[in-house]
Amino acid sequence: MAIHFSVNQQEVEVGPGEEEMPLLWFLREKLRLTGSKFGCGIGQCGACTVHINGTAVRSCLLPVGQLQGSQIRTIEGLAPTGQLHPVQQAWLDQDVPQCGYCQAGQIMAAVSLLERINQPTDQQISDNMTNICRCGTYTRIRKAIRQAAETHAEKPVTEA
Amino acid sequence: MQNPHRRHFLKISALSAGAMLVSVTLPLRTRSSSAQQPVSPQWCVYVSINRDNSVVMQSPIMEMGQFMRTAGPMILADEMDLDWSLIRFDLNMPTYLTRNRKGDLVYDHAQIGTGGSQTLKNNWTYLRTAGATIRRMMIEEAAERWDCSPERLTARLSQIIDTPTGRKFSYGDLAEKAARRQVDTNKLKLKQPAQFHIMGKNQPAIDARDIVTGAPLFGIDENYANALRVAIDRAPAMGAQIAGYDKKAALAVPGVRQVVEMPHESGPHWPDGETQLRAAGVAVLADSFWAAMRGKDALKTTWKDTHQYAGLNSKAHRETLKALARSDQPGKHLRDDGEVTRALQQADKVLEHCYERSFLAHACMEPLNCIADVRKDSATVVVGHQWPHAAALAVEEIAGIDALKVEVINKRMGGGFGRKGEADYLREAIWLSHKVGQPVQVIWTRENDMERDFFAPAAAVQIRAGVKQGRIHGWHMRHAQTAGEAESHNFPAHLVRDCRIESLAGNEPFPLGTWRGPRQMQQAFAIESMLDELAHAAAADPLAFRLALMEPAKAHPIDYWAADHLDSGRMARCYRSAAEMAGWGRKLEKGEGLGIAGHVTFGTYVAFVLQVHVDDNKQLSLQKAWGAIDCGFAVNPNHIRAQMEGGFIDGLNAALFNEAVIEDSRVQTRNFGQLRWMRMGETPLEIETEIIESDREPTGVGEPPVPPAPAALANAIFAASGLRLRRMPFSEHIRI
Ligand code: FES
Ligand code: FES
Repeated sequence: MAIHFSVNQQEVEVGPGEEEMPLLWFLREKLRLTGSKFGCGIGQCGACTVHINGTAVRSCLLPVGQLQGSQIRTIEGLAPTGQLHPVQQAWLDQDVPQCGYCQAGQIMAAVSLLERINQPTDQQISDNMTNICRCGTYTRIRKAIRQAAETHAEKPVTEA
Repeated sequence: MQNPHRRHFLKISALSAGAMLVSVTLPLRTRSSSAQQPVSPQWCVYVSINRDNSVVMQSPIMEMGQFMRTAGPMILADEMDLDWSLIRFDLNMPTYLTRNRKGDLVYDHAQIGTGGSQTLKNNWTYLRTAGATIRRMMIEEAAERWDCSPERLTARLSQIIDTPTGRKFSYGDLAEKAARRQVDTNKLKLKQPAQFHIMGKNQPAIDARDIVTGAPLFGIDENYANALRVAIDRAPAMGAQIAGYDKKAALAVPGVRQVVEMPHESGPHWPDGETQLRAAGVAVLADSFWAAMRGKDALKTTWKDTHQYAGLNSKAHRETLKALARSDQPGKHLRDDGEVTRALQQADKVLEHCYERSFLAHACMEPLNCIADVRKDSATVVVGHQWPHAAALAVEEIAGIDALKVEVINKRMGGGFGRKGEADYLREAIWLSHKVGQPVQVIWTRENDMERDFFAPAAAVQIRAGVKQGRIHGWHMRHAQTAGEAESHNFPAHLVRDCRIESLAGNEPFPLGTWRGPRQMQQAFAIESMLDELAHAAAADPLAFRLALMEPAKAHPIDYWAADHLDSGRMARCYRSAAEMAGWGRKLEKGEGLGIAGHVTFGTYVAFVLQVHVDDNKQLSLQKAWGAIDCGFAVNPNHIRAQMEGGFIDGLNAALFNEAVIEDSRVQTRNFGQLRWMRMGETPLEIETEIIESDREPTGVGEPPVPPAPAALANAIFAASGLRLRRMPFSEHIRI
């Protein structure tokens, strides 16, 4: 049976012989969603982070054959109406990105963190934000997460 | 789409009127020379003004995370007196190339290339003059229409205003005719810093929104028509040759189209002299990169080692350098002030220590990649490269196509750090496209990237220094590194009467390249660690000891390409500011310590204080850092702060983790699994920056925050625990 799953709420089907293709390359090359980045290919850097059923996952090692029925969200699906997600807005307000290459992965990791723990402590931020930023934007990422957490506090998240 | 009849771009008018609107002589720096050559500032290539007064601007400078793509337009727009909010940025970045009188390929207009923390400096006068020229054109056009003197008119926020009467023209009204004007360069007036309305204020990066929404900004994201995706199986040992591979198996992978052998290439290179420029490899060309990677795995390539680079071993090399630095083999004397031997004999106390650093990897977050489309007599290269003219030169050399017929399209670089100034990844894509007669996109895996790096050299710096009555008395520094020379001008030279600096080279053919203030970092690590050790030996406070050393405040002339003086007063100011912010001298908890270090890099002064905690089990945590920077006029303060944060973290990462390990000519640190890299949990919670106010011409900020980091960390660890670390990476000696 063909594998079906959704990406940013669009149904997609895995073609024959494609089951072993990692999700990252399926997104980048089949769907041309290039926001998720290739950084290491071994699950270390987090540049390829996407959400699978709401949880942040590194997509570079995950074969699409295992995704039957899953809901995938990528950076491109974070602001479907054009209105930025509060985490993206916080990233802009703190002017986080330097080269920018890791930032889609960082944002996806942060969104997932805040969906699970809406007021994370500094320790929880450190424990959950394990993506590499080669440019060293970590202190700003932390500030942006704190800012987004405050926005959350004012406006409880209703979306699951 | 707008109605084309309404789109009267200044660009078009200007070009139809002849491009030479004004001609001024501006300094032009190419990679190989700093010769003064005349260029024509055809500013209009970057700026188009629409009738409705909106502006479309292309950034004149490349971006690799150092914010130049934003700084360039700020300079131009400020002198033009543009309303920043009316500008739309066109992120397409072609490379404008021309030939100078000698026939060398040079950048036309702005110096788009970036590196050496010189980018801002190289473009400062050019972009300001270009902006002021456009402003003057607007003023003169308005004056003619109103039949009044241009001197009574002012430009403000994309308008020319006649203050006495209150009448106004928008730039959109004036642009088309203004563009045809000839401006007398003597009438150009650059603004005073107090008149800047865009510079000196925090402007967000012009493409920040595209970044946070995942727009395809990088070369690796590009979907070039008909390009085959390429993965290359590269020789794991330097110099190795292909022994055999299973071509059939690779071609059997669905999507794989071709398999091509790529020859090994050696040649002259900076700073290592002669090294491997490109590994031998087998290229797999496919419909997708995923298929190409699977094809590469199917090759099962076998290799035969050659003798050219046999037996290279980084750990052994480090020992060689250390032995060299500690030996009495004379080095090249870069400086020999006073009588260093006698001074050390007279000192109350003499300390002698060696400070060591490993090879540093670049690990740009975006793996190297390049698209090349070499046609019969023209070519297109799409790439993020620090010096894009190198792509045009490579096409000329490899395919015999005139470099001026090469279109080089620049993409935002996912990190550069000197690695993206190398030509290897351009050359292989160009070579392949030329060979197969089709566009190709070569993407490196992380393993390719780390194995085939051009590392920052390893180094060992031995310092013998004395103190007498609380002051430095004699300073003898022997600086050994894989290749290249030390600098001769750094403090405490000029401040210590008897000072000798020697340079030695290990001379083994490790592949080396530029990094982010690498030489400055190893110098600062050695010098600032030794200053600390001397202060303790003299029972002095490390800050007070440094401030006393900097007295009297004086600008010492130096003979150096990036600055003409070294000012002890500016350095002292940075030490003091960082220390004040940190609350230097306050009472700390048990296990906490503050460390201070500073350095002058390419004319920019930086000092940092770092607070760490070390527990009884030698478990280290980095708590907070405070930095002060004097980089002349602060064009975009928030981005200077960002560089202070990121650069300092890069330096901390070098101090703690970054060690490229090479055994038997094979790189062992092949991915982030073997090469640990700093993450959020290891980073200080906060880094605060003070920018010293200044009206001096701006100097670079990309590299200067890096060099002080290792010494600030070593000094803080010592203050917290009494443990003195003199060998990077520190994570071998302390837990983190
Ligand atoms: S690319 Fe997936 S974790 Fe690095
Ligand atoms: S912003 Fe460059 S890697 Fe994170």
